Amino acid sequence: MKVIIVGAGEVGFHVANHLVLENKDVVVIDKSLDAIRRVTDSIDVQVINGSGSSPVLLEEAGIRGADILLAVTDSDETNLVASLISNIISPSTKKIARIRNADFDKYHDVFCDQAPYIDTIINPEIELIKTIDRLMSVPGAIDVEEFADGRVKFVGIRLEKDARLKGVHLSKLSDKTGRQGPLVAAIVRNEELIIPGGSDKLMPGDLVYFISEKDKLVESLNVFDKHEEPIRSVLIVGGGRIGTRLANIFEKKSIYTKILEKDSDRCSKLAEQLNKAVVLHGDGSDLGLLNEENIQDVDVVITLTNDEETNILISLLAKNMGVRKTITKISKFSYFPLMSNIGIEQVVSPRLSSINTILQHIRRGKVLSSRSIKGERSEVMEAVALETSDIVLKPLKEISFPKGALVAGIIRKDEVIIPTGESIIKPDDRIIIFARKNVIPKIEKILAVKLEYW
Amino acid sequence: MRWRFILNIVGILILFLGLTMGFSLLVGLYYNDRSVTPFLISMCLTIFSGSLLYICFRSARAEVIRQREGMAIVALGWMAVGLFGALPFYMEFEFGTFVDAFFESVSGFTTTGSSVLTNIEAVSKGLLFWRSFIQWLGGMGIIVLSVAILPFLGVGGMQLYKAEVPTPLPDKLRPRIRETAMLLWKVYALISLAEVTLLMFGGMNLYDALCHTFTTMPTGGFSTKNTSVAHFDSTYFDIVIIVFMLLAGINFSLHYEMLSGKGLAFWRNSECRFFLGIVFVLVAVVSFNIYGSVFEKIGQAFRFSAFQVVSIVTTTGYATADYEKWPAMSQLILLFCMFLGASAGSTGGGMKCLRIMLCFKYCYKELFSLIHPHAVTQIKIGGKPVSDEVMRSILGFLALYMGLFVFCSILLASMGVDFVTSIGAVAATIGNIGPGFGLVGPVDNFAHIPYLGKWLLIWCMLLGRLEIYTVIIFFIPEFWRK
Repeated sequence: MKVIIVGAGEVGFHVANHLVLENKDVVVIDKSLDAIRRVTDSIDVQVINGSGSSPVLLEEAGIRGADILLAVTDSDETNLVASLISNIISPSTKKIARIRNADFDKYHDVFCDQAPYIDTIINPEIELIKTIDRLMSVPGAIDVEEFADGRVKFVGIRLEKDARLKGVHLSKLSDKTGRQGPLVAAIVRNEELIIPGGSDKLMPGDLVYFISEKDKLVESLNVFDKHEEPIRSVLIVGGGRIGTRLANIFEKKSIYTKILEKDSDRCSKLAEQLNKAVVLHGDGSDLGLLNEENIQDVDVVITLTNDEETNILISLLAKNMGVRKTITKISKFSYFPLMSNIGIEQVVSPRLSSINTILQHIRRGKVLSSRSIKGERSEVMEAVALETSDIVLKPLKEISFPKGALVAGIIRKDEVIIPTGESIIKPDDRIIIFARKNVIPKIEKILAVKLEYW
Repeated sequence: MRWRFILNIVGILILFLGLTMGFSLLVGLYYNDRSVTPFLISMCLTIFSGSLLYICFRSARAEVIRQREGMAIVALGWMAVGLFGALPFYMEFEFGTFVDAFFESVSGFTTTGSSVLTNIEAVSKGLLFWRSFIQWLGGMGIIVLSVAILPFLGVGGMQLYKAEVPTPLPDKLRPRIRETAMLLWKVYALISLAEVTLLMFGGMNLYDALCHTFTTMPTGGFSTKNTSVAHFDSTYFDIVIIVFMLLAGINFSLHYEMLSGKGLAFWRNSECRFFLGIVFVLVAVVSFNIYGSVFEKIGQAFRFSAFQVVSIVTTTGYATADYEKWPAMSQLILLFCMFLGASAGSTGGGMKCLRIMLCFKYCYKELFSLIHPHAVTQIKIGGKPVSDEVMRSILGFLALYMGLFVFCSILLASMGVDFVTSIGAVAATIGNIGPGFGLVGPVDNFAHIPYLGKWLLIWCMLLGRLEIYTVIIFFIPEFWRK
């Protein structure tokens, strides 16, 4: 599979890195020599220096044989033109473009359906808002992904020091809880990813990923000592586009919202646009102001200013003052590993959200969606089991699944099955697979059709 | 610097080298000569040492190779490969001391072709095959070969590739480095096959055809005969070898383009045009210079000058005539050819045409800006701009090359070697040519160079093959600082 990426920024770089680990052929085009150098120094891809909207360069990159074109430069116009030109040269290539300008927001859906030369449009802000929404819906979650139209949730939580389940073998999980527990798909311990077997133990401080049906989620969370806490009030720091949009959504959900913004002109605009939300003018790191607004009583603080260091500081401050949950926006990827050390768990990034959405569209064949989890070392995907593929109609334990992959759920019509070795996948079931990066090509092969009939 | 990791990879390379000794062992077994025992012993030793390094430092494996580590792996790898490749030589009695065997081995791997042998034909067939075969391995690069066929080097392969492939502007033919390396080796093997066929068509036996192909394609220059290619004294062989030396001196990505049917890639590429043009002009000048004074017939003058100029400029180093008996002008042109070298991305050595071309363009730009102080100019190659960074690295390279040449020849002269021989020997080894001037000319050998001088020349050969930076960086204190 060949992918051409236009733009070697944070998103382009990480998607490229991701795809290379999966043994795909990647060509990266960027105008800046520095960006190109960063790519060649660390990833095994072909690079071309120049503008990605140039037909000559696209041709040189081999657009005719490419399966996917991904346009993720800083400029929306370049992304649009690159897609347009690719469509002219090579109509069969799938085109994915990122568009960030807010003016496009209103037309997002129209564009997705109507622009004939773009297959998919990614708007990082919309993706980010979806991520924040998911995070807020599950108490205590660090990472939430949805599958099967939201009926199945893939949740990552941090196991507390005094959790009931600490030191329990996974095979004994149901004895301890008294019913069939949630399926633990992965554990991240000391920055290391473990795909657990029955003999693995849960340790305090582990980041535990599990699969749960939507209806049983509360129950599952209880098992891990995370209890439902309804969200009644939210403080948003930073009244930019994302902040405004979120405030709008919260208003509709009747959550009591305060929005804090430094710039007074922006504040008056916000006041015009919002009805119920309280617009505050001031600095988010101003202790007096936070006290004045009784920050300790707020359920969630979301920091969305353009300055990520400020976001981190405000979140820390809020945590210190007794806020239960903070969601912090960070763009620099290099900060991610540090965050859990300083106690900030819920971190969102427009780029990470975009990468996730992009990956979902890059997956081959009958893969419906896929999500990369923490640190990009593994992925969860949802796929349809084809009648002709190798995995159907035999017990799971007889399928030669590569090491490092796990079937985490089977969805048959309205039923969600947490699989055991004896479970059988039927044709047209949707399956959820958790896999390490390096075995993904193998998984894709297993999922693909055994014999082509045409 | 993760030394354990570096040693682990060097271990793999040594192991790999040990396996390639198997080919020579087979040749030795076929002719049933005295090389069998030395090969068995060296093969065991090499495989054992390689595995030992690999197993000892197995735990230190890392995903990513940093630039500095890439250079260290390549430099150490080449030294180790030279060392273990010398074992079979050392165990046969033609080579006196270990330094002689080491010299011959490094001269082979670096595709230099300078020899310490006085009587080549007395050496066993198995060992002579090894001597040619290591040139073939070294030509396209033993590390590039391992990147191509060993899957686990794939991720960090680019750093190794950059440190080994002789070009200031590395280009990837395919998105993955492994496929690029594989492709280059395929092209290399394919052209080699063509040469073997053509040589055998002219009546050479398989053994000689293989050995000569193995030393033409990497522009090496070892022959199985005492008098080099002159032994065959055939116009047909001369022509075939001239053509293949030229092919080996051209950037291998152009061969790939030609073979994949993209038409006249040679002509579209400005460096290649420059290279072929300069060869043509020099052959013509030398032909006229030696016509009458050395050779009676113009045809003969042309044949020998073409062979010698191509042999030197591609840094192969075969001889069909003793050019030291030619007029001074021809000799000077050949000395100049030693510095010029072949194209970037070829198997040849020297400074490379691309660098010389860019250097001329740079000089012109400087002159131009003296005339038009406000002019904005950009150096281009093939219509594409060359960044200042690349330009600086090229100028730095040329300065280092000349500086090291001067330094090493003075050092060699201080050991009691005469004036012409010092210059000739250093120019021939740092440019990976083979025969030099004076007492190391095309009919002489390097046996009489003093002990320390041989070590110096070994170092020069490595400098030349790995394009200086990769080797010299080891001598910069900053490199070792933590």
